[in-house]
Amino acid sequence: MSAESASAIHKSQVDLLDFIDWSGVECLNQSSSHPVPNSLKQGYREDDGLHLESDADEQLLLYVPFTQVVKLYSVVIKGPEDEGPKTVKLFSNKEHMGFSNVNDFPPSDVAVLSPDNLLGKPVILKYVKFQNVRSLIIFIEDNQQGSEITKVQKIVLYGTTVETTDMKGLKKIEDH
Amino acid sequence: MVLEATMICIDNSEWMRNGDYAPSRFQAQADAVNLICGAKTQANPENTVGVLTMAGKGVQVLVTPTSDLGKILACMHGLEIGGEMNLAAAIQVAQLALKHRQNKKQQQRIIIFAGSPVKHEKKVLEMIGRKLKKNSVALDIINFGEEDDGKTEKLEALLAAVNNNDTSHNVHVPAGPTALSDVLISTPIFTGDGEGGSGFAAAAAAAAAGGVSGFEFGVDPNLDPELALALRVSMEEERARQEAAAKKAAEDAAKQEKGGDEQTSSQDATMTERTSAATSEADNKTNDMMDDENALLQQALAMSMDDPTINHDLRDTDMSETTAEDPDLALALKLSVTDKTKDSASQSDMSKLLADQSFVSSILASLPGVDPNDPSVKDLLASMQSQSEPQQKNEDKPPNEEEKK
Repeated sequence: MSAESASAIHKSQVDLLDFIDWSGVECLNQSSSHPVPNSLKQGYREDDGLHLESDADEQLLLYVPFTQVVKLYSVVIKGPEDEGPKTVKLFSNKEHMGFSNVNDFPPSDVAVLSPDNLLGKPVILKYVKFQNVRSLIIFIEDNQQGSEITKVQKIVLYGTTVETTDMKGLKKIEDH
Repeated sequence: MVLEATMICIDNSEWMRNGDYAPSRFQAQADAVNLICGAKTQANPENTVGVLTMAGKGVQVLVTPTSDLGKILACMHGLEIGGEMNLAAAIQVAQLALKHRQNKKQQQRIIIFAGSPVKHEKKVLEMIGRKLKKNSVALDIINFGEEDDGKTEKLEALLAAVNNNDTSHNVHVPAGPTALSDVLISTPIFTGDGEGGSGFAAAAAAAAAGGVSGFEFGVDPNLDPELALALRVSMEEERARQEAAAKKAAEDAAKQEKGGDEQTSSQDATMTERTSAATSEADNKTNDMMDDENALLQQALAMSMDDPTINHDLRDTDMSETTAEDPDLALALKLSVTDKTKDSASQSDMSKLLADQSFVSSILASLPGVDPNDPSVKDLLASMQSQSEPQQKNEDKPPNEEEKK
């Protein structure tokens, strides 16, 4: 896919930030002093000084559930040049993932991040694989230099929502 | 108020039949498990606790994490003791059980009761420890019962690999008159890292002891929680300090004995001679030089061991310069020689006599200001005895071999 067409399609895609179910977000192997909100939440992620950092080794496993079904189009993963993530595997609709069974399933898509990507260039995903996403696993396998600690400054998910019945809205009408 | 899912790994190996913890290791452990389950479920209504056994035919999950206290308590009944503990497998099964917890917001914690020897390599445990850390699982270890085979070292290595922000703890409970659960109740395993659960722990402590007199340190924690907290903290610090001190003393003693060996054996001949002719002043004079040196050595030894026996050591050097006509003095002199002859490989009658522990302790008892039941005196005697024995054996052997030829 050429860069031009990518940016053209990109305009209809929105930031999925508002559809993330924050109470269910989980991150394994995060350093307690540099937790996952630093790279995922609005405001925090725009600040390059705040980043998500791995703890015991270089791998990170993020579980991001959504409040409604979405289609995922592209991701932006920003990080420092040397300690930024390199191989990133994405799994859609997988629950109970851990580091031990991360190799048991074929990933929906694998992205190898280039230095350009780490500066904010979006990675276009296999769109057909992410048509019905209720939750997303982002598995960061290694980093650029192969060092012990991986740092992630910003993660943005772009896509569209699928028309679904908003259960919350339904309740409100019943209240009247 | 920590929201937590806990897996408790209980040890049901053959080692748990031992009665060194009242009423037996297994029963003491069962009490502690009940108490922990109570504390955990009280700390937060959404907390869950599960139980698995580490020995027997294999690792067996008795209850998956549940908030139903009745289920947990019921599973503890009718457990069979048998087999050996498989720590590595148990930790991994526990981790798997925690991974599939219902409520993902719960922190994960594994509590291990390790009452039998740990057969796994240190490296294996460290590897598992790192895996736990990666999956953000905290680990509490209760180290009791068997003490050999570098068990403590292995468990500490495991803990060091897991520990993240001091959320994991290791508690060593030596056998003693206090119940296992009573010791645990004042540890971070119960009290958590913050204030959570301490109220329950205090109440449970009072209930367990049954009565006003049963309050820890004789203070009702409900009336004065701050004082109770201060007392508990100081108790913990003291326990840690004592363990560190004991370790250091043991190391020092080992070093001292090694270093002291050469010197004492060189002086040995003269020393034993002198005791056989204790009344001879001339002899004493010739030995004066030796004596001073020896006195210094003894003093250094005593000081390093921080030992009350320093009293009689000092007296001994004084006496050797006077004429020992007094029978009491003679007795004391004999005693002072114990230290030297124990170190030596001398086969003289005197050393044989002094090798008799009961005789030595009777002399010690007769001395003013020396308590033969003092643990440090006992340690000293035991270490001397154990040191003298191998040397004597070595001396015994060569003649036997010659006879065979």
